[in-house]
Amino acid sequence: MPIQILQGTLDLMILRTLATMGPQHAYGIANRLQQVSEDMLNLNQGTIYPALLRIEQRGWTRGSWGKTENGREAKYYAITRAGLKALNEETERWRQMAGVVEKLLAEEQ
Amino acid sequence: MMHWRRIVARLCSLFANRHAESDLAREVSSHLTLLADDFQRRGMSPEEARIAARRAYGPLEQAKQAHRDERSVLWIEQTMQDLRYGLRTLSKSPGFTITAVLTLALGIGACTAIFSLVNAVLIRSLPYGDPKRLVYLFSPNPGLKIPPEVICPSYGDFYDLKREAKSYANMSNFEQVRFSVTQQGSTQRIGGARVDEDFFSTLQSMPELGRTFAGEDNLPAHAKVAVISHSLWVSMFAARPDVLNRLIPLDGANYRIVGVMPPEFEYPFKSDLPYGDPHIQSTQVWVPLALSAQARTSRGIANNVSVARLRSGVSIHQAQAEMAGIMARLDEQYPPDPHDEGIPRAWGALVDSFTGVSIGAVRPLMRLLLAAVGLVLLIACGNVANLLLARASERARELGVRAALGAGRGRMVRQLLTESTLVGIGGCAMGVLLAVLFLRLLPKLDPGNIPRLNEASLDVRVFLVAIGASLVTSLLAGLMPAIAASRMELTEFLKSHAMRGRSTGHGRLQNALIVVQTAMVVVLLAGAGLLIRSYINVESVDTGFTRSALTFHVTLNQRYSKPEQHVAFFKELIAKLEALPGVQAAGSVNYLPLTNSESLTYIWVDGYANKNYQLSEGREVTPHYFTAMNIPLLAGRYFTDADAAITVNRPVIVNQKFADTFFPNRNPIGGRITGDSKLARWWTVVGVVADVRNTSLEEEPQPQIYNASYDAGDASVAVRSRLPPATVETEIRATLKAIDPSLAATDIHTMGDLVSVATARRRFQTSLLAVFAGIALLMALVGLSGLIRFSVNKRTREVGIRMALGAERRDVLLLILRNASVLVLAGLGTGLACTWIATRLLKSFLFGVGQHDPFTIVAVSVLLVVCGLLAAFAPARRAASIDPMQALRAE
Repeated sequence: MPIQILQGTLDLMILRTLATMGPQHAYGIANRLQQVSEDMLNLNQGTIYPALLRIEQRGWTRGSWGKTENGREAKYYAITRAGLKALNEETERWRQMAGVVEKLLAEEQ
Repeated sequence: MMHWRRIVARLCSLFANRHAESDLAREVSSHLTLLADDFQRRGMSPEEARIAARRAYGPLEQAKQAHRDERSVLWIEQTMQDLRYGLRTLSKSPGFTITAVLTLALGIGACTAIFSLVNAVLIRSLPYGDPKRLVYLFSPNPGLKIPPEVICPSYGDFYDLKREAKSYANMSNFEQVRFSVTQQGSTQRIGGARVDEDFFSTLQSMPELGRTFAGEDNLPAHAKVAVISHSLWVSMFAARPDVLNRLIPLDGANYRIVGVMPPEFEYPFKSDLPYGDPHIQSTQVWVPLALSAQARTSRGIANNVSVARLRSGVSIHQAQAEMAGIMARLDEQYPPDPHDEGIPRAWGALVDSFTGVSIGAVRPLMRLLLAAVGLVLLIACGNVANLLLARASERARELGVRAALGAGRGRMVRQLLTESTLVGIGGCAMGVLLAVLFLRLLPKLDPGNIPRLNEASLDVRVFLVAIGASLVTSLLAGLMPAIAASRMELTEFLKSHAMRGRSTGHGRLQNALIVVQTAMVVVLLAGAGLLIRSYINVESVDTGFTRSALTFHVTLNQRYSKPEQHVAFFKELIAKLEALPGVQAAGSVNYLPLTNSESLTYIWVDGYANKNYQLSEGREVTPHYFTAMNIPLLAGRYFTDADAAITVNRPVIVNQKFADTFFPNRNPIGGRITGDSKLARWWTVVGVVADVRNTSLEEEPQPQIYNASYDAGDASVAVRSRLPPATVETEIRATLKAIDPSLAATDIHTMGDLVSVATARRRFQTSLLAVFAGIALLMALVGLSGLIRFSVNKRTREVGIRMALGAERRDVLLLILRNASVLVLAGLGTGLACTWIATRLLKSFLFGVGQHDPFTIVAVSVLLVVCGLLAAFAPARRAASIDPMQALRAE
């Protein structure tokens, strides 16, 4: 069954993707997210645009136009130093959050 | 919180940014292409791949809209962030913030106040329909050596003009008149006008209540009707709506009120007429002129004012040409009027615009004030720009770090602009407060007869000018440092590591700003200096009379119709006044000095090469007038009581100017003068008195003859007393009441008051310009001091090295002061050059001082250099107290 994306986690996933794979265009990012989630994410590819815009405006990524291997033009997003720092903080926060939720669920059973 | 922002965001996205929008479209189409490529690789046909790509992408428009929403939310959030950040950084450097806001506020406040003033005086429309088309008609006579705007066409000529001239839509004649109004036992005198049937239609003014005059009102039999002013309606009738058809007693006769004019209509005001009745400030009551058939065709000089409205499309020149033609024909057609003794029938034509007459005189002053206040605003802008530049340099390090951490350029420019806009808004708010304050204070300066000055108030237009000025100032001032800071090379910055050592390249710009500011201050100071010198010169003019004399005006009413009654009244009044305790002398005169009225006569002098139309002022005085006014006797004797009764070979007294002009190298005493063209009845000069400034303090005295006489229908009385004016005033009122309770003493002033009124305009312009020059000087000094402090901060290391290498503290002090004086001297030089040109525009404002007055130039230069060095001294001393060890370690 496909799952919905939790509010705010998309930013984290995009940053992580960029940190791992280097500069990527929106399609590449969306593809990667679908691959990793083994198609469990219910992701219309258009929905990642607001997130891309948000993190770019925060100075976490920097966008520039370039060419794909097949000669198609695409906007590539690269993570900045501020983005890396934010990624670390966000990851830490996510782990804490997930830990708390996991612990709570475990106790309930 | 997020909720309302979303709503605003959606609204904002309606005004979507075109660049972001096209970028998005490009990105979406590239995304779809990549998707389709992939599907094709998996074996779909291009058409199938395109459809699959659309499906995988999801709803297109929805994705775009989400992007737009996000964009606007971000925009708002960033703005809020910028505002918060801006307020925080501004509050962290209160010195900068307060200086910048105050500087702007002063500039904007002064500018707004003066603009409001100019708006009220020059721009705001007058309460008459299209005042630009209103004109006065005069008929100057070249034979009379008097200003051309004194005499209007005679009634006979006027109605001929009215019949023949095609230039005017409407023409009207009126006469000014003063009425006594008695109410509950006390008599007051009000200004009025006798107007013909076309008066209100020419001015295109409507009553707020009732009607104006209709045709039959102007028949002498029906003429006892009146239109009253709004303020008279309020003061006499408590603004009661049933005022119509009530009676108002004017000079003892009852007039039926038929209309009330709106509050702003009190035409003619004193400033509306070139040579109006000086005792009438504004008009409170209008009655029909009601000329008799005989008066309507009289060709003699009358007391009328002719006002007309040009037909649309007709220029003043055309009207003037037409009038000149008609007047020339009338001059040939009619003989000189027998009542106008000896004046030839040579009446010319002069059409003057109403606005030129009423505000023409103050226009140069308004322009001067605008120019001065414009300079002040420019200096304020320069100052704020300099402050922002210095601040940006000091913050270069912070900005560099932020850029290195990934802050976008646009974002940084926006933030800096937000900051300067905050300064601008602060300056604007405070500036408007200051403007309101200035406007309250302006009328207190009592500028004399500037029309509608008291109506100056902040209106919407002025408000917009203020906001525009402040925002443009702050944006321009903020833009330069913002762009410079954002353009900085990141790698360069990281390499140089220590920004303090490296200027961001505004140094020259900052210096140039200071030089320009200083130059403008020099111009303002020189202007103010010249005006102050002129004012001192005017104040020290010898008026010829004592300022302590108390004067009042009295007009006899219709009960005094015969000359004997006049004589009896004034003899009794003067005798009773002189009997009062403390009174040294009392005397009356028909035209008091400095009240803007005079009587001119043609004279012939025995034993002098007489020319045609020699003019002299003539005044009728009671014998003790000279003693009461303390006008010194230079030769011969004053009048005695007996002189007033002499009818043959009347004794006269002349002034020094008269003696110098008509009795050169002769003893004037015993000389003979006549005003009679047939040289039949002669007057004998018995005394010469000092010149008196009759028209204004700034005009040279004219030849003057005094006759002794008690026979006057109205006169001004001067009383010299040892007691304070207030006490004397009470006694005067009591004395007058004891003689005749139906008479009122009006215009009670000391001569000092009249002098003060005569110099009020000059005092007004001088103090305003001096205040502006002071403000400008202060601003420039603050700017200079700030710049020096900034450069000292930048040169800490250099100073440290110099001192480590053996420079004395004194050397450092001198070094910094030398830098400051280079700037000041450059500004002074530029300023003096500009002053040389600019003061030519001041010429008409000067009195007794040249436009290139060396004293003023030297004084301004010394003042500027001294102030400049003082302003630079504090930061210079700080530089001298730098500890070399610390300075070197600090890097």
